[in-house]
Amino acid sequence: MLDISTLLEEIKASPYEEIVIRAPHTGIVTFSDLKPGDRVQGKTGRWKEIPGTRIATLTRERNPKPVEAPLKGELREISSEFEGQFVEAGTQLAVLRHFLSRDEVIDILLRHALHLFPAPERAKYYFVPQIDTKVKVSGCQSVTVQQGMELLIMSRMKRETPVYYTGPGGIIYAVYFKHNENVDAGRPLIGVCSKEQLPVVEELVLRVRTEWKEVF
Amino acid sequence: METQNHIVLIANRGEIAVRIARACHALGVGVACVYTAEDAESGHVRVAQELGGSLYRVSSYHDANEIMSVADQAGATAIHPGYGFFAEDFRFARRVTTRDRKMIFIGPSWRVIRDLGDKINTKRLARSIGVPTVPGSDRPIYDEQEAEKVARSLYDFQLQEGVSQPLVLVKASAGGGGMGIEEVYDIDQFRSVYRRVRNYALRQFKDEGVLIEQRICGFNHLEVQIICDRTGKNPVHFGTRNCSIQSVGLQKRIEVAPGFDPSSIDYDFDAEALLKSITEHSLALAREVGYDNVGTWEWIVTREGRPFLMEVNTRIQVENGVSARISRLRGESGVDLISEQIRVGLGEPLGYTQDDVSFEGVGIEYRIIAEDPSHRFTPWVGRIERFSWKEEPWLSVYTHVPTAMTGEPYDIPTEFDPNLALAIVWGKDLSQATQRGKAFLDSLVLEGSNRDGESLKSNVAFLRKNSDRLLRF
Amino acid sequence: MDIEKRAQQLTERLRYIRDIFAGRHAGVIAQLNARLDDFFQNLAEGHLAGSDPIIELGLLEEQFLAAERRLDAELTPMEKVRIVRHPQRICLRDILENVYDNFTEIGGQEEHSIDPSMVIARATITRRRGKKKYNQLIMVIGQEKGHGEEFRNGGSVKPWGNAKARHFMQVAETENIPIHTYVFTPGSYPIEDYPGAAQQIASNLYEMAGLSVPIVAVISEGGSGGAEAIALADRRLMLSHGYYSVISPEGAAAIQGRLKGQGRATPELIAHCAAQLRMTAADNLSFGYVDRVVQEPYLGARPQHYDFFRTLRQEIIRATDEAVISVRPFSPLRRLTLRRWGREDVNLDEVYLRWNLSDSAREKLVAKRQKKFLRLSRGACIDRRPALNLVRKSLRESWESTSAKLKYVLYTKHQQRLTNFFDESVSLALWLKERLLNPFSSKPLRPRLKPETVRELTTLSDWDESESRKGRWAYVSPRAREDRTVTCPNAATHGCMDLWAPDLYGEFAGVCTSCGHHFPMEYQWVVNNVFDPGSVREFNTEVESDNPLGFEGLSELLEKARQKTHLKSACVTFEAKLEGTKMIVAMLVANFRGGSVGAAEGQKFVEAAALAEKKHYPFLAYVHGTAGIRIQEGTHGVIQMPRCTVAVRRYIEAGGLYMVLYDTNSYAGPVASFLGCSPYQYAMRSSNLGFAGPGVIKETTGLEIPPHYHSAYKALARGHIQGVWDRREARANLQQLLLTAGGRNLYYR
Repeated sequence: MLDISTLLEEIKASPYEEIVIRAPHTGIVTFSDLKPGDRVQGKTGRWKEIPGTRIATLTRERNPKPVEAPLKGELREISSEFEGQFVEAGTQLAVLRHFLSRDEVIDILLRHALHLFPAPERAKYYFVPQIDTKVKVSGCQSVTVQQGMELLIMSRMKRETPVYYTGPGGIIYAVYFKHNENVDAGRPLIGVCSKEQLPVVEELVLRVRTEWKEVF
Repeated sequence: METQNHIVLIANRGEIAVRIARACHALGVGVACVYTAEDAESGHVRVAQELGGSLYRVSSYHDANEIMSVADQAGATAIHPGYGFFAEDFRFARRVTTRDRKMIFIGPSWRVIRDLGDKINTKRLARSIGVPTVPGSDRPIYDEQEAEKVARSLYDFQLQEGVSQPLVLVKASAGGGGMGIEEVYDIDQFRSVYRRVRNYALRQFKDEGVLIEQRICGFNHLEVQIICDRTGKNPVHFGTRNCSIQSVGLQKRIEVAPGFDPSSIDYDFDAEALLKSITEHSLALAREVGYDNVGTWEWIVTREGRPFLMEVNTRIQVENGVSARISRLRGESGVDLISEQIRVGLGEPLGYTQDDVSFEGVGIEYRIIAEDPSHRFTPWVGRIERFSWKEEPWLSVYTHVPTAMTGEPYDIPTEFDPNLALAIVWGKDLSQATQRGKAFLDSLVLEGSNRDGESLKSNVAFLRKNSDRLLRF
Repeated sequence: MDIEKRAQQLTERLRYIRDIFAGRHAGVIAQLNARLDDFFQNLAEGHLAGSDPIIELGLLEEQFLAAERRLDAELTPMEKVRIVRHPQRICLRDILENVYDNFTEIGGQEEHSIDPSMVIARATITRRRGKKKYNQLIMVIGQEKGHGEEFRNGGSVKPWGNAKARHFMQVAETENIPIHTYVFTPGSYPIEDYPGAAQQIASNLYEMAGLSVPIVAVISEGGSGGAEAIALADRRLMLSHGYYSVISPEGAAAIQGRLKGQGRATPELIAHCAAQLRMTAADNLSFGYVDRVVQEPYLGARPQHYDFFRTLRQEIIRATDEAVISVRPFSPLRRLTLRRWGREDVNLDEVYLRWNLSDSAREKLVAKRQKKFLRLSRGACIDRRPALNLVRKSLRESWESTSAKLKYVLYTKHQQRLTNFFDESVSLALWLKERLLNPFSSKPLRPRLKPETVRELTTLSDWDESESRKGRWAYVSPRAREDRTVTCPNAATHGCMDLWAPDLYGEFAGVCTSCGHHFPMEYQWVVNNVFDPGSVREFNTEVESDNPLGFEGLSELLEKARQKTHLKSACVTFEAKLEGTKMIVAMLVANFRGGSVGAAEGQKFVEAAALAEKKHYPFLAYVHGTAGIRIQEGTHGVIQMPRCTVAVRRYIEAGGLYMVLYDTNSYAGPVASFLGCSPYQYAMRSSNLGFAGPGVIKETTGLEIPPHYHSAYKALARGHIQGVWDRREARANLQQLLLTAGGRNLYYR
């Protein structure tokens, strides 16, 4: 049985994560008027349609592009020594201390509670078309999986191979991979919640919602 | 030399990047290299460092914007695309040569790439100067009756040619990469096949044009290596290659130069005359389009000795080394086609004619790949722990895998083509070359494992087995 | 009446005055207040200076009336807006109860209705001639504000409310009874759920443009598109204290002040805009957009003004009678009646005129209504065409019309029969020939091919390569000359790489090669790449946008737009060919004042439709982009909605093929009228279309609109349009549409 209380206490001991914001590509960087200690916002709005705080602008081929905070938090470092300089892809631009929100705590705990279906190999993953449509239209929790079902497509080295689900049957409670991004072997692809587990998971969600206080 | 104030940005990775960097260095040209975070361990990064070139980490090799951005930063005057990535992308070449800060694209001019990049256009160009092409239509057909007429006469044509099982191919003219192609075995079934392809083409490419061609079976795949300087008027060939040993997915695995060996093998046709004819045709087409860099003319040759031009690859190819290996320039060996490409690419005149080029012996190139030939050549992913071979004067191996140089283990990146190394073996004739090839393969040590504890799988056995059927039908 | 009650009414009146003037005339109000307070105090203390409280009260009422009369004369347009919006303003229910003799609501009951803001009722008016009584049946349709009842939504009708109205208009047509519509709306509820605000209004306008029963509209609050949905009428009456406008003063002020997001316009700016928009009854009467003004009591009609309802009853009967008489065969009797009816003192309740019409009269009625709207707003734009040219043009056009008609009758009918016969006999002959030459169909084993067949299979064929453009376009955007990259808006979700501007705008036709997003292109792109090269011939270039209301700043804006675009209005009309098929195109250019439609644009559109009809060509409305009706032209702009819809209806009924293609963003009035009424509407990918933009929806309804709410695919899913086109295939798609929707002659169905 899952010990929610202990897990929650553990998270409470260090209630944040440090996020390194890196240059997504090469270009000349100019920083916004921010300093360490400033608070920034991630994407907001009901549909996440409002972009996060602009941390820097990266200009490549006369095309200035914003580098935005991915999540809300407090700026710890800004690499202002690069101001006006050419930077390589992946250069550290800033470090953000992000305080975990309720949903993120729930996500962490869910990874303990759900059956995680891991990536068999490092590759890019997609749902098979008919499931993909279902996920896009009515969300992943509308999909029920069972042992041996053809669920995903693994795309690697220009080859695509089907991946069959193994594990207990249930609904897909969470999806952990993103479109066009590599997943390392062993990392979870989806979290499946069986019928029997559903009350446990619901209790967990409820507990976090009531007990977890969000920092600003 | 004109080339000395240049800096060439290598828009590629791995083995070809290493060879370009070395060639530039030898020519006294500066280099700049790019790499991605996943590829930081690759040999080309190391070689670039050794040679004093500048290095830039980029987000992707596929993003032209990264290449341009780095080129400006590095002060590059030219870009070498290698093979793959941007090598045959006329838009990339156009951008390099027409942007505000113009650079040289080391490859043919963008118009040539565009015109020869289109198979229909190539076929029409070839036909316009009498170069043989696959019988059938050379333009998209939109009319069902016309399509059937062409198919029927193509069927009869094959019967007349003595083909016992005539086959007709219906291809979506806007397609490519094997999509939208079907064979017609029974000409009375033509209409239904035609409609299927046409509807597919309409859905997929929004163009219902189809090509109707003879399906040629049991052929050998030959190539002619051409080079020309920026004048586009004096093309020279570096012989032929035979690339008929391929994987299931029609990927080349062994290449042999020259293309046929009439001295040791009996063919049903005059192989000497055939090789001469395809090189002459290739040169004629190169002159016609004003081809101005290195390129490969791909041919298929039937058992009966009929050649058909398939397409032109407007780039340096992986297998360029095997042609270079048997070539002699004014009697001298050690020809480096990549170096020649850079030289003429930067604007130097070619400096020799066809008479200065001669050939000696037979070269075999093996592509060593971590894959499983018994399972449809599925790539194997994992860590290489040992990679070594016995050095021989007749052998050269090109690899970006650091294990071969330093003995360090190397994780095969999953992002790129799975080539590990190219090995080129030379012999004075086919039997010696084959014998040396096998000796090399036998001496090769290639070991590793992955996290599932599975040991490394490679195509070495496949290469060895196929060494016995080189240059045959 | 009880003194208390009458005094209480005065208190109400005072509060009403205070509401209307919102701070103005404080002195007068204070004075009245003091008098009223005195009266109440005296009444309470029982010492009314020895006089009769009834007389005192009467005096006080006189004073109130006098003050109201004085204040009424000084009403500003903004104060009139406040009058029509006041909860005490008469509403449709009051009219049904007081103007008609009997009525039954048929569109629902109270809140139990598909849309309680739209009320439909069958009503009767009883008229007498001597001792004989005549019950005349009417379909009453109108927005109901219900004195501020929450569920009425302030008279802001949802799309399905308008659909209900349209349905009962058709019922009235079947029953051959007149329709009375009452416009009490600040504007339509701008949501896109099926049938869609814009599309449904367009559908209503299209219906009314050809409805063969008399329609009389009475406008109290005529807010733009919502008003038009039921106002395309034979006779349009307007209440003297009402307003009829293209946009609310607040909306105009927001646009005028370029306020985005949180900013609010000052009351002064709003009032200024209200005055500039010329939205009052007197203004609209002078423009000719209403036929008559019904005088209201001082400071506007409220439910207790019974006299007003009598006036309204007379006016509405007169208007209906006039509409009916005007299409009856001319006779001395009619002349006589007309003369008598015209006199104000005749009690129309005591004369009788049948309101149902004969078939021929119904036809005449529709034609008359259409002509009436086509004639409107002609003077509100600049027309530099010399008068002689106009005459010559109309002569030429009428000749073209005759010759085209002749051609169709003579040529198409017989030609068709001939070719049919010919086709059939040729194929028969071919079949016979084959049988004769080849009596036993067996395949030869080793065919002997003719040398030319072999040559065909192995040598170069003839081919016109211009068939495939392969990214070589006739028009290349100037943006293709800039060495820079552009980021696709879908980059985050689809992983699109930055596109190099010369590739994107030059070769890719502004389409992201990774996700297919369509970047907006110049209108020249479509003009040059969709139609046959060299076939475009513009006409009516002499018609120019003007500033008919003298709206502050508009003339400068127009001048700027002229210089920027080298156009004279947002509408360009031209003749063009597509694969040899001639067609007329009316194009709305987004770069000219946002592609907004005013009197000049409407005029050019109407003439283009007429020309297409005369020449028997297909007619395409290509909407490069439109932000809506040009608000600075006020009702001169909004009248283009019914006007152009009438033009479209005439064209379609004459057998024309009317197609609409939306390219970038198309919103509001034009979509809600002459564009939205087309049976063949297509949109380019990544275009947006709808009634009101997200900002306006948020402001007027409080609803948060998800991103891409107005996207072409959403519009397609909602059933508003017929298809989404890829820009690169626009030419092929248009041709396909001509072939399939246009039929054999591309004109007559």
